Amino acid sequence: MRKFSVGLVLFLAAAMVFTFAAIDADAADTIKIGFNIPLTGDNPDVGASSKNSAEMYLKKKPKIEVGGKSYDLTFIFDDNEYKAESAVKVSTKLITEEGVLGIIGPQSSSQAVPAGDVANNYATPMISPWSTNPNTTLDRPYVFRGCFLDPFQGPVSANFATDELSAKKAAVIYDIAADYPKGLAEFFKAAFEGIHGPGSVVAFESFTTGDKDFSAQMTNIMMSGADVVFVPQYYSEVPLIVRAAKEMGWTKPILGSDSWGSGDLMGLCGDDCKGYYFSTHYAAAGAKGETKAFIDEYTATYGKTPDDVAALTWDALGLMIQAIKNTGGLSGDIKADRTKVKDALASIQNFPGITGGMTFTADGDPKKCAVVVKINDAGQFEFFKSVCPK
Amino acid sequence: MDQTATLHPTEGMFLRIGHFFKPVPLMGYLAGFLVCVLWEQMAGDGLSAILGLPKMPVLFGILTIFKVVAGVVNLLIKGDAFDWATLVQIPTALVYLTVIYLVPLTLVCRLSVKPANALARFLQGFPLIVTALVQLGLMYAVLHIWAGVSDYRLITLKLTLIAVLFTLSLNIINGYMGEFSCSHPGFMAIGAYMTSLFTVGLFTSDKVLGDAVFSVGAAYLSFPLALIFGGIMAALGALIVAIPSFKTRGDYLAIISLAFLFIVKSFFENMQSLGGSRGIGGQPNWATLPVIFITVAFGVWTINNFVTSTMGKALNAVRDDETAAEAMTVDTRKTKMAAFLFGAFWAGVAGGLLAHVLRYVNPAMFSVQKLAEVLAMVYFGGLNSVYGSIVGAVSISLLGEALRPLEILKWIVIPLLLILVMVYRPTGLIAFKEFDVRQVFGPKEVD
Repeated sequence: MRKFSVGLVLFLAAAMVFTFAAIDADAADTIKIGFNIPLTGDNPDVGASSKNSAEMYLKKKPKIEVGGKSYDLTFIFDDNEYKAESAVKVSTKLITEEGVLGIIGPQSSSQAVPAGDVANNYATPMISPWSTNPNTTLDRPYVFRGCFLDPFQGPVSANFATDELSAKKAAVIYDIAADYPKGLAEFFKAAFEGIHGPGSVVAFESFTTGDKDFSAQMTNIMMSGADVVFVPQYYSEVPLIVRAAKEMGWTKPILGSDSWGSGDLMGLCGDDCKGYYFSTHYAAAGAKGETKAFIDEYTATYGKTPDDVAALTWDALGLMIQAIKNTGGLSGDIKADRTKVKDALASIQNFPGITGGMTFTADGDPKKCAVVVKINDAGQFEFFKSVCPK
Repeated sequence: MDQTATLHPTEGMFLRIGHFFKPVPLMGYLAGFLVCVLWEQMAGDGLSAILGLPKMPVLFGILTIFKVVAGVVNLLIKGDAFDWATLVQIPTALVYLTVIYLVPLTLVCRLSVKPANALARFLQGFPLIVTALVQLGLMYAVLHIWAGVSDYRLITLKLTLIAVLFTLSLNIINGYMGEFSCSHPGFMAIGAYMTSLFTVGLFTSDKVLGDAVFSVGAAYLSFPLALIFGGIMAALGALIVAIPSFKTRGDYLAIISLAFLFIVKSFFENMQSLGGSRGIGGQPNWATLPVIFITVAFGVWTINNFVTSTMGKALNAVRDDETAAEAMTVDTRKTKMAAFLFGAFWAGVAGGLLAHVLRYVNPAMFSVQKLAEVLAMVYFGGLNSVYGSIVGAVSISLLGEALRPLEILKWIVIPLLLILVMVYRPTGLIAFKEFDVRQVFGPKEVD
């Protein structure tokens, strides 16, 4: 026991000496940005894409100039486990403990909504790259998002169906029990009938999550004489619906939404989905300029094509950095600086993102163009056109 | 106790530590912690600065240490850059822990043995409620000062307290009753939604549930009512599971209750009037630390009373041998029902608190993941014991926070710990231990 105590005292003394020797890094000249992302849990791919994108950004631009002064960028990645409670804890920790200037994420609405409340209460700018729930940014001046919302995507699809597919009558088939498809189906219907008059959506067919047989709905759609079918469903359900349509002898176009682009659509659907269109955030195949550079670099670094999350995270980060630059200089008082960054974010005009130009509305949602892609014969999602809200 | 000579040296040390703290009553520990948190409030920042720590350690320095460990791990696995200067934070965090917590706690505990015991003995002359309230008040003061230092501590503490209540409510069914029920997150969901329905629907305006029905300044006074409403609705939900499933036992009950969990989740996903899968947000900020502390303390007290009552004994009889219990005139069906509904009630209350801490609730929060978490807490802490549930919930919550920097490795470390506990202590860390309130709050008499 005595030896142990002596050892402990010596050890502590040594530790003290070492401590004084350790010099604190020049903390004043770093800018910290926090990432509240799901690195473990149900959806680790989402977190991995976000982290990959951010690390690539940091390699490329480790320093930024703000108001003539150079700062080192530091990213702090924290894991929210794809859980609401953890997202709230992580946001609180990033703000109060790490003292970040701004937060990127959470990605999914189920975490972004409660975490947005935290960010807004602590007056810290937060951008969720991927969350589509309106409540994330609603009445929260400090919270922004990097993607368009469903009330915008619905009209985009309606306009595209009208202009490019010359549709006069449309049909919709959607899952009534899932939030995203149901919402989008209703927005599409409203927008399409806004263009072609009431009754122009001739079939509005619903099913319930997990259904495998769509022949009844398809029969109604065939009878209705629609020129196009809108299918705002997830990649796992799309192949079943498309095959059901083909069996009924449907030869007209099928139009999808951004949920087609996540996951392994082509692996499940194969040749059946080729030639159809869907609206999404950006197109990987046939991209140009900055977008192409991003895709090539990401593919070279990580050996896979970047998904929507990676691209939107890149843009959210770009927005945050741009806003920090636009403040014209940081005072060093973190609270005042956060508000400055928020104001700069809100007033950004036409930010040239790789997923399109962005300008924020008063709610903190971006006004941005959607991309419509065509699934080409090689099974790639090829850029077809960019659709902007009318 | 003359075995010390033959013992392994470390065991001897533990024994000595045990001896050292043996005469300290709860009052003494509370006094010790009170001194610690006050000392930290005064000297914590200064000491961190002297030690060269980037910020005051939040969770006793554990988080600081694991952050550095995570850096080393990432260096070894992925070859990420690692700043060797941060290695020094491991010893300094330990120094901080020693100086701020260990030393004052030890000193105060030992020095206050006599007065603390005297005070406890004096308070014992009054009804139990007096001494309980005094010591709970002290406990709250400690927590309040401790959490006042940082908001991250506050949110962690709030969620940990809620986890304690939730774990304990499941322990009634899985520990005391000896069944394996999987429907608990479902009850929590019902409680969370119904409490939110009460508060958001009646007192706040939002898009999902429409305008406020009442606008009263003192609306927060209705929060206990809201929690009770949530608890009762959860108990009603439990009734729906209990009626068909209590004809079965063991695995079948587990499967039925798991099905119920999915039914509840789907129900809330399909209820458009409750926001569907988008959930309900904008709950008023009524779940403050005192409210949570009082609710959890009250919950622990009633659950402890329940399991130590005749009903609790009957419950244990049912667990050990249902047929024998029936033969000994125990009304097994009634006993099981009461325990199940009681457990569900407190799970509902815990859900109500959770909804108002996060100020958002959606069906995805109450999935199988939540179930795995609470089961881990129950079995890690110990079956059939109030102590065990508190220990399990607190340790898993703190571990989860401390190991967060390790990312995916966290999910290797925590399950490994669980496996080790299951191997060496199959019923959990502190199982089958009676929790006698009078003894806990009373003085420690040492011969």
